[in-house]
Amino acid sequence: MEPILNIQQISKNYGRIVAVQDLSVNVGAGHVFGILGPNGSGKTTTLSIITGVISPDNGTYQWYGKSASSSIRKKIGSLIEVPNFYPYLDLFRNLTVVARIKGKPVGDIERVLKLTNLWERRKSRFDTLSLGMKQRLALSAVLLGDPEVLVLDEPANGLDPEGIAEVREIIKGEAEKQKTIILASHILDEVEKVCTHVAVLKKGRSIAQGRVHELLAADDPVVVECNETEKLKSSLIRAGISASIEKDGNQLVIILKSGYEARDVNEFAHQQGIVLTHLETRKKSLESQFLELVKQ
Amino acid sequence: MPMKSIILNEYTKIWSYRAFRVIILLHFILFFLVVLVTSRLDITIPGFSTDYLYQFPNIWEFFPWVASWFNLLLAILIIVMTGNEYTFRTFRQHVIDGLSRSDLLTGKGFLIITIAVYSMLMVLLFSLLFGFIFTRDLTAALFLKKTYILLVYFVQAVAYMSTGFLLAILFRNTALAIVLFILYRLIIEPVFRLFFPQGARLYFPMKVISNLTPMPEFLSISSGNQADAGNADALNLREMGLLAEDLPVYLNLVLAIGYTSLFIFLAWLLLRRRNM
Repeated sequence: MEPILNIQQISKNYGRIVAVQDLSVNVGAGHVFGILGPNGSGKTTTLSIITGVISPDNGTYQWYGKSASSSIRKKIGSLIEVPNFYPYLDLFRNLTVVARIKGKPVGDIERVLKLTNLWERRKSRFDTLSLGMKQRLALSAVLLGDPEVLVLDEPANGLDPEGIAEVREIIKGEAEKQKTIILASHILDEVEKVCTHVAVLKKGRSIAQGRVHELLAADDPVVVECNETEKLKSSLIRAGISASIEKDGNQLVIILKSGYEARDVNEFAHQQGIVLTHLETRKKSLESQFLELVKQ
Repeated sequence: MPMKSIILNEYTKIWSYRAFRVIILLHFILFFLVVLVTSRLDITIPGFSTDYLYQFPNIWEFFPWVASWFNLLLAILIIVMTGNEYTFRTFRQHVIDGLSRSDLLTGKGFLIITIAVYSMLMVLLFSLLFGFIFTRDLTAALFLKKTYILLVYFVQAVAYMSTGFLLAILFRNTALAIVLFILYRLIIEPVFRLFFPQGARLYFPMKVISNLTPMPEFLSISSGNQADAGNADALNLREMGLLAEDLPVYLNLVLAIGYTSLFIFLAWLLLRRRNM
């Protein structure tokens, strides 16, 4: 299937500073694609390139298999860095300007302002809004005209916990409508909760890419508890199911070889006549894995 | 991008902008006050009456010349509106939302033309008002003679604003562009011109543009400089812009349009090449 966005080997330098280096990414239809990385890892530069505001030094990218153009950008809702609006115009007029540019009906403004709880404030000047409200207005502008593709750069920036939860609900809602979403974030929790795919950036390079659950669950340990830990340990090693086993009190922390999962351990123990009193797959937190990845 | 949306957006941006309304109002009122006060002046030089300037067809020369003093305000207006797009980062947002860089240029080009049309209509309005009051024995031929200067004034206003627009795009900063515009117009180019022979000085952009609406001949005659126009004093007066100089109007017009196109082209190159 034709990818929605195809980035090939893009690079961008700012003087001697490498912002993005040989980055290649494929985003398929309906993916919620997270771009994860610490500050300064090239997330915003990448998104600025694919939304046409800066041009890459090297490499190309295509939306819907075509090279970039302003008419394709009209179909994409993008929020890059900070919200940019006219401070002296009210919210409704600001969104009118956006609607005209995108060629979307002005009638849709009411829907998106209600979605972000700003409808009551539609007659307020933009510069009277709080930071969180500005961010929500930017999200309204992104959703205007119900675009198929959303590009969001740190959408939860500047929001209080309630606002973050609201934004997350909105993004999830859009994802459920089979929208393609590209989401840059340094917050792992955000990526883990909403994304299907992820690319981890470090100093402008992609150091890992894949489905969120595969990439981040590959080495999840299985923890078992039983009375005969030593016996289970040695037979697991002999059977070649485990990659490594550590004994921790009366628990075994088992890293499985690929192709095996927790139920295989249970079945194996049963065959050996060992009764497990506890069996769990311990999800390593994304946080610790992210730090592991970035540290390398 | 349909042209209509670009135009409507420019209207939305200026309509609610207080600085824009204030500057336009200032422009209108200042012009009116100057022509009103001057018409009431009682100058007692034999053979000179300000009334003469307010009669058709001389008013077509006099009013655009007065209006040209205030072109600075119009240029500042364009610099402010363009500088805002950088300050608010809305040019950048427009590109993200799907405008092409030439659409950005179209919007501001449209704004320049709109303001020039407004200013031309203002001159027309007051010319008609004062002209009909002051002219006795009006004939159609007398009325129509020299009306073309109104269009020349239009070109001048567009040219000044295009200069301002280029500076705003170049510096991406309102204050810097305004200061540079004023310095270039009043000091940098005039001083630079001095290094060139008399004939070449007439071809510099600000000179070309300001010479589009020269001081009415009648006024310069009355200032007493006509008699020995060749001597050193008169040359200095010319250099100071007090005396009309002599490129034919059509050539001046062609040069001014050429400079305007060049400035707009350079602005377009900058817009296209740079990151937003």
